[in-house]
Amino acid sequence: MAVTTEVSEKLRALPEAAAVALRMKAEHYFDVIRAMLDVFATKKSLDSIYVTSTIPSTSIINALDVLEIPLDHIWFVDCISQIMMSAGQKHGHAIYVESPTMLENIMLKVEYLIRRTADRKNLVIIDSINSLAIHNNTKILSEFLHILVNNLRAKEAYTIIFSMEEYETEEIRNMLNLVSDETLQVEGEA
Amino acid sequence: MAPRERDEAEERERCITGIDGLDNILNGGIPRGNTVLITGSVGTGKTSLCLEFLVHGAIAGENSLYVSVTENSDKLLTNIIPYDFFDRKLIKEGRLVFIDLPVIYDKLGLEKLEFEFEEVNILITAIGNIVDELKIKRLVIDSITSVCYRLKTQENIRDFILKLGAMLSSRGCTSLLVSEISPAEERYSHYGVEEAIADGVVVTGNLERRGDLLRTLQVVKMRGTMHSRAKYVLDLTAVGVLLVPLLKGGSVASAGG
Ligand SMILES: Nc1ncnc2c1ncn2[C@@H]1O[C@H](COP(=O)(O)OP(=O)(O)O)[C@@H](O)[C@H]1O
Ligand SMILES: [Mg+2]
Repeated sequence: MAVTTEVSEKLRALPEAAAVALRMKAEHYFDVIRAMLDVFATKKSLDSIYVTSTIPSTSIINALDVLEIPLDHIWFVDCISQIMMSAGQKHGHAIYVESPTMLENIMLKVEYLIRRTADRKNLVIIDSINSLAIHNNTKILSEFLHILVNNLRAKEAYTIIFSMEEYETEEIRNMLNLVSDETLQVEGEA
Repeated sequence: MAPRERDEAEERERCITGIDGLDNILNGGIPRGNTVLITGSVGTGKTSLCLEFLVHGAIAGENSLYVSVTENSDKLLTNIIPYDFFDRKLIKEGRLVFIDLPVIYDKLGLEKLEFEFEEVNILITAIGNIVDELKIKRLVIDSITSVCYRLKTQENIRDFILKLGAMLSSRGCTSLLVSEISPAEERYSHYGVEEAIADGVVVTGNLERRGDLLRTLQVVKMRGTMHSRAKYVLDLTAVGVLLVPLLKGGSVASAGG
């Protein structure tokens, strides 16, 4: 609970439409998700667009289910499940992108969901820069983040980019500094 | 920043296409009265783009006409019904009109498979009359290639597009002419003259990258406005055509990871 409180308070202190890097340890992952999708997005009446290239959207949806967080205002762009899934397994709140290398398609699906949720402002989560960096070179990934963040800022959406400390490299840190307005560090209980 | 091109210094009134991505590329829309060639191989989204242009026009109160040459317009209608912003009322109220060109040919008695100078004039006059009568402000001919097929010579094709463009422009009607090319053709139109006469050229295509197939769109030419000449990736969705810049780091040569 401490992490959830810490993160939601840090998010609430952000200016409108901020683009932030959220650095965390893997152990805090689900507390962070709860802080964002439940506490922060609910308080701000935001529709959340969750881009996952880390774990399948169904795993996150199951976790949200356990936490009793309703899905009504949460949408997924899932970049890793397409190949393994049959049509019947697809979730109504998820859009699938063939692979995490299809960065333009990720942008297009985010754009689509923003249009579809036009009555509310948006929170866009990129989970995570580390997994995207496995599939894309730094040059194209920086270009992607740069265009995405600028586009989202123009649409008054928040952007939160996850970075897992365990998998951070110098290149990733540089990239985050370049595209985000600020970096939030998840401390956890001291 | 994408490179931009300035053709004319003067700012002209715009026809806002309603396709946000395209309006951004064009710095606010198509200069009103322009005749624009939409060119690309089959399945690249030309018809969808044109239909959306007309639906947005009709919604904005500009009467819009779709002249279908090859496909039956009833069948085309099924393409726009899924659009979130489409409303059958637009058709009922006469703001969105579909006409099959073969029907016009019949009425005009243009039965020949080969049109000469005279037939060209008859056809242009007939289209002009429809535009006047229905107060059309946006027009699509899908496809101009099928019309050109009957014109045979480059002279006749040039004559037809020039006269058509002048007639539409003088009426303040902004038009999109669909041009079908095969992927192998290394030019913007089948007969090679259409793109020189048109005020604008928008190219739709497919791009294969590391085994992924992307739909692309590029504005190659547009008189009367500055515009981006960069390539964009296109998606056809229920909320319409969406466009995002093609990432340059993604060219095959520099692709890694
Ligand atoms: N709104 C849409 N959503 C999903 N797919 C679409 C949509 N509109 C068109 N398509 C598909 O895109 C393809 C190409 O469309 P079309 O506009 O007919 O291309 P073209 O006119 O260049 O041949 C078709 O296979 C069509 O089914
Ligand atoms: Mg077509």
